[in-house]
Amino acid sequence: MTPPSWLGQGWLAPHYLGWLLQGAAMTAALALCVCLSATVLGVLLTAAQDSKQRWLQWPARLFCSLHRNTPLLVQVLLWYFGVGGLLPDQAMQWLNSPHQLALPLGLNLSWPSFEWLAAWIALSWYSACFISGELAAGLRTVGSGQRLAGRALGMSEWQIFRFIVLPQALRHIRQPLLGQYTAIIKNTSLTMAIGVAELSYTSRQVESETLLAFQAFAVATLLYLLLVIATQLAGSRRSAEEPGR
Amino acid sequence: MMLSLLHDNLDYLLWGNLTRGQPGGLLLTLGISLAAGVLATLGGLVGGIALCMGGPRLCRVLNTLVQILRAIPVLMLIFWCYFLLPILFGIDIPGVLTVIAALAVINAAYLSQSVKAGIDAIGDGQWRAAQALGMTRWQALRYIILPPALRAMLPSFVNQWITLLKDSSLAYVVGVAEFTFVATQINNREQVYPLQIFGLLAIGYLLLCSTLEWLGRRAGRMPA
Repeated sequence: MTPPSWLGQGWLAPHYLGWLLQGAAMTAALALCVCLSATVLGVLLTAAQDSKQRWLQWPARLFCSLHRNTPLLVQVLLWYFGVGGLLPDQAMQWLNSPHQLALPLGLNLSWPSFEWLAAWIALSWYSACFISGELAAGLRTVGSGQRLAGRALGMSEWQIFRFIVLPQALRHIRQPLLGQYTAIIKNTSLTMAIGVAELSYTSRQVESETLLAFQAFAVATLLYLLLVIATQLAGSRRSAEEPGR
Repeated sequence: MMLSLLHDNLDYLLWGNLTRGQPGGLLLTLGISLAAGVLATLGGLVGGIALCMGGPRLCRVLNTLVQILRAIPVLMLIFWCYFLLPILFGIDIPGVLTVIAALAVINAAYLSQSVKAGIDAIGDGQWRAAQALGMTRWQALRYIILPPALRAMLPSFVNQWITLLKDSSLAYVVGVAEFTFVATQINNREQVYPLQIFGLLAIGYLLLCSTLEWLGRRAGRMPA
């Protein structure tokens, strides 16, 4: 039996699989960096929106609604072309040439490309706004009566937050936060538009070199599924380890 | 200078080559979003109702499908539609239609879960009261359950429509001449004002999404 014509001839050569795996590694690395920075930024944004200082509150709100109501792709392009165009020529030259930092044990840490930096910043800012939305919703699940009760017991604001609000809020935040982290993995795919060699980019590259579209997209899709499932398993295992939370 | 840039390119940015029968720019973005939005809403309603009324086997199949769709990037799904749809139908399919199909499918998957949750949120008592009145399950769904459930679902529908509108910018990667694609074309041609061009693009989307958000909030406040 001959395979249908759209399946193409044969299977992907090993080195093309290598490209796809490298793409998946880039996706995972970018997503991990974004998860870390977006979480920190998200906490800061939530704190600013929650504060009693007006001058902290409304800029944070504006920041979030600006980022949530424009496409991520447009933000990525704005950082890459727009902000890239603002930087002086010397800075761009420095950013576009390779730099390495020698670490002990013979490891080399290379300075990332400008595409990577633009992608990282754009994704972090965008994701931070969604994460801060989830954090704020988690904090709201703790009734104001509990805060008042804490104050009646003579606790300070910080103690109320640390011992009453936070432990309960964390329990509600875990699942939505995991959802945001999966969204970050999927959103890294948009950075192919500015040439970051992540999984979608490499699948497109393999497809145009081999013309085996089905095989290239199938492997890439499987790798995305694996990354997402691994994230969800890691998240749910951690919550099973802490029954009190 | 910025003004002449605007003057030269605004028509193209707003409706592409409409006079030559090739709509593009903001107009095409609206067209894609509207078509995909209607299809996704219908698909989400059918899917969500099937999840509530269907048998266990149908539910298992649907749930697996939804889980897979939710785990892959929209971009990957656009690639798949771009590749598979012409094979499936045996004819050339324009890029616009493949993008509409991909956006409709993924958003229908998300919406079907909102619809299921919305129907589940209506208490069991309502179903039993309808049954006691001699209604069939479908009658109960149509006249008793859906009206309040749909009202409660409205915010999640609006959120999904906003997501869809934003995701229509991904049509850029398969070369469909919508708003984002046209802006990058102008940027490549002019090469001087990238910040202004992409800033304008962002403001365009911001206005659209904020309007949708505002309309959704207003509709949510309307008395029953």
